[in-house]
Amino acid sequence: MEWCSFVRNMGENAMSTEILKPVAVLIAWSLIMLVWTVIVRLPAMKRAGIDINTVVGGHPGALDGVVDAKAQWPAHNYNHLMEQPTLFYAVALLLAFVGMGSGLNVMIAWGYVILRIAHSLLQATVNIIRYRFLLFALSTLCLVALSLHALMAVFH
Amino acid sequence: MASEILKPVAVLALWTMVMWLWLYATRLPAMKRVKIDAINMVGSTGKGLREDLVAGGEVKASWVADNYNHLHEAPTVFYAVALALAIMGGGNGMNAKIAWAYVGLRILHSLIQVISNRVVVRFALFALSSLCLIALCVHAAMAAFSG
Repeated sequence: MEWCSFVRNMGENAMSTEILKPVAVLIAWSLIMLVWTVIVRLPAMKRAGIDINTVVGGHPGALDGVVDAKAQWPAHNYNHLMEQPTLFYAVALLLAFVGMGSGLNVMIAWGYVILRIAHSLLQATVNIIRYRFLLFALSTLCLVALSLHALMAVFH
Repeated sequence: MASEILKPVAVLALWTMVMWLWLYATRLPAMKRVKIDAINMVGSTGKGLREDLVAGGEVKASWVADNYNHLHEAPTVFYAVALALAIMGGGNGMNAKIAWAYVGLRILHSLIQVISNRVVVRFALFALSSLCLIALCVHAAMAAFSG
């Protein structure tokens, strides 16, 4: 590994790591949703008469319409957390790397993460689409802003 | 500028946000035409919505959303590998060119999927872009393990 050039890069534009806090929080939150998914889903599978010891070849959505609809809600949200937030991680890490992971960008990143956590709580409990849509749209606007800032930073 | 490879990374991230706006611009009016009651909807999924739209005759309305979803699949590996290369000081020269090719092919892939959605063309573009990604993965592994 070219540690020399790595260190040289660090000197040219010091990394700013404040933005890694919301990144770490959203990663931890995703794992909490995974635990929530399992806690709700395993009893629901049992109620639906599915013996997990004999099941072969499951896939995303296979349990939709099979177990209680509500038992799928935390799982749906967990899947969503593996979608758009992956772009957030890339953009946030890019911003940290080029030394733009501080100040306003950190506030926007916290905005994104808080809105995504609220989105999870809503989807896993009442799942009213008009509110979910609103939280998702607002969080995506945060991501649009971060993406624009990332583009400005690398082409500046 | 520390690493040239971050430019295509930022471009593909922003392109994904453009596709997000595009998907609403096409899907929301289609939902209205099919008379899907979004205001009182509870617990739907993207898959369910897609099926409802197709059942209502709005086949093309989901194409942009389909591509938006695809942009959260293979490109997530691209972001990880490109950031790894940047951190290791391998994000310039050839790797930056390959990354630009990846992003150019993915943008073309988006446009094809949204406009004509000919699967053979989409497949060719996707396969080519994946070859770029393979090259970047190999280079990243080489950089990481070469000491």
